[in-house]
Amino acid sequence: MLLEVQDISMVFGGLAALREVSFSLAEGEILGLIGPNGAGKTTLFNVITAFLTPTQGEVRLAGKPLTGLRTSRITERGICRTFQNIRLFDQMTVEENVMVGRHCRSRAGVWPSVLRTGAQQKEEGAIREKTRELLSLVGLTGHDRELAANLPYGLQRRLEIARALAGEPRLILLDEPVAGMNDQETAEIAALIKKILGFGITILLIEHDMSMVMKVCDRLVVLNFGEKIAEGTPQEIQSDPLVIEAYLGREEGE
Amino acid sequence: MINPYYLQIASFILINIILGLSIYITLSTGQLSLGNAGFMSIGAYTSALLTVKVGLPMVAGILAGSLLAFLIGILIGIPTLRLQGVYLAIATLGFGEVVRVLFINWESLTSGAVGIAGIPHLGRTMLAGLQERGFSSEQWGLKNNEFISLTIFIILLAITVLLLAFFSRLFASRVGRAFRAIRLDEKAAEAMGIHTTYYKILTFSMGALLAGFAGALFAHVTGYISPADFTYHRAVEILVFAVFGGSEVLWGPVFGALFLTVMPEMLRGMSEYRYFIYGTILVVMMVFRPQGVLDQPLLDRLRGRRGGGGDDAA
Repeated sequence: MLLEVQDISMVFGGLAALREVSFSLAEGEILGLIGPNGAGKTTLFNVITAFLTPTQGEVRLAGKPLTGLRTSRITERGICRTFQNIRLFDQMTVEENVMVGRHCRSRAGVWPSVLRTGAQQKEEGAIREKTRELLSLVGLTGHDRELAANLPYGLQRRLEIARALAGEPRLILLDEPVAGMNDQETAEIAALIKKILGFGITILLIEHDMSMVMKVCDRLVVLNFGEKIAEGTPQEIQSDPLVIEAYLGREEGE
Repeated sequence: MINPYYLQIASFILINIILGLSIYITLSTGQLSLGNAGFMSIGAYTSALLTVKVGLPMVAGILAGSLLAFLIGILIGIPTLRLQGVYLAIATLGFGEVVRVLFINWESLTSGAVGIAGIPHLGRTMLAGLQERGFSSEQWGLKNNEFISLTIFIILLAITVLLLAFFSRLFASRVGRAFRAIRLDEKAAEAMGIHTTYYKILTFSMGALLAGFAGALFAHVTGYISPADFTYHRAVEILVFAVFGGSEVLWGPVFGALFLTVMPEMLRGMSEYRYFIYGTILVVMMVFRPQGVLDQPLLDRLRGRRGGGGDDAA
């Protein structure tokens, strides 16, 4: 198993945002994390990437516990993410955003940077090359010099994915990558997600767009009020009475 | 042509540019420090005491002063890193005041409020050294005081140019991108694999080092220091160099230090109102141009008018 989430609980004050949630992801798999608003999906992302320290439980990557590591170390281990409310470096150019994403896969410190050593120059060239590749992958070629803040919304979402990919993740966490997009844009992102899977990158996806989730995901985990209420293939989930109840509510008179 | 008065102003401009850079470095990861006058005084006092009381050579004193400021910068940086924005500003302001009061009250060492006089003078020491080797200012057609002022100016100019080259390269690199990413969104930067704590301590202590270095130079250029040189006003002045000139581009603090050092000299009668003017500038800038006079779009436009040019500056 590439990622194992085991008995994760996250309590804020008296409120349990997550209650003993467990699931795992195999290498190369795409797992959808769904559930109504406030179910704890983003909280779980924040726990996996150490933005939050869980009250209880453990997250393991390729068998190694991530407990106690800071976010940047977890990124180095191979988990990169995007954000539900886009968090680009908006006063940096498109190109620079992706170059920052490359930080954990490059080394040059203060002195090599100032002295412009051969190794530093070579590394900087490699960073630019990789950046060009990724921008073309997500369809942002030609926008390199624009400020991230000036990009239209849909392209900002793509840029976030390119920036996350620049860290060469083994696992990428996508938090609502098609929120607010039209059908055509959604289809394009779905195609991009397939391409990312094609590189052998494992994906954990939070998404509300059910038709897309059903199409791209191998398996789904459903959260409701911080608890895992179901897990299975998209077909199984669609017919699960607990899931239907969570989304639609219970019928009167039962 | 060589007027010691103008050269002295030019030398103060250069020292102020170094001070402006010191705050610019700290600001580059989004940390607002008001402690740089404190670090400046640590550099100045260390170098002054080591040269006057211990008799160390000036270069050793300057290096020791800068290094001590750097180490104290790390010590102060680690606990205060948990603080952000105005809380960090207040904590560093408190630090600066503690240092100043320490220098006032530690009379046996620092002569208290009287200050330290007779600090070896950068220009005079250079001249004396050269004279031993049979040089005299007349060989260059200069009077001694002209030679002294000119020497100081040239040394400071060389140092400033080197520092600007250092930082323009640093900011155009992976490290510089990490600094900017942290300033724009610290959490997102951490998620990109940037060890934000390391880079924040790095910039904070580099700012301290630079302020200490500028302080040590200041001591050996004026030959006299007292706690009154390193008050709260100085901390604000240093901050205003960057805030007025531009805190997002390397040329910002350079322009800020240049303009704000020359302006009081041009308006001699106004110099009493210097802090009044600084205060007004801060308010007006925050409202109308929070990024300072110079920013990247303006620099690009200035470059474009000159017909292209380097893309080196950060």
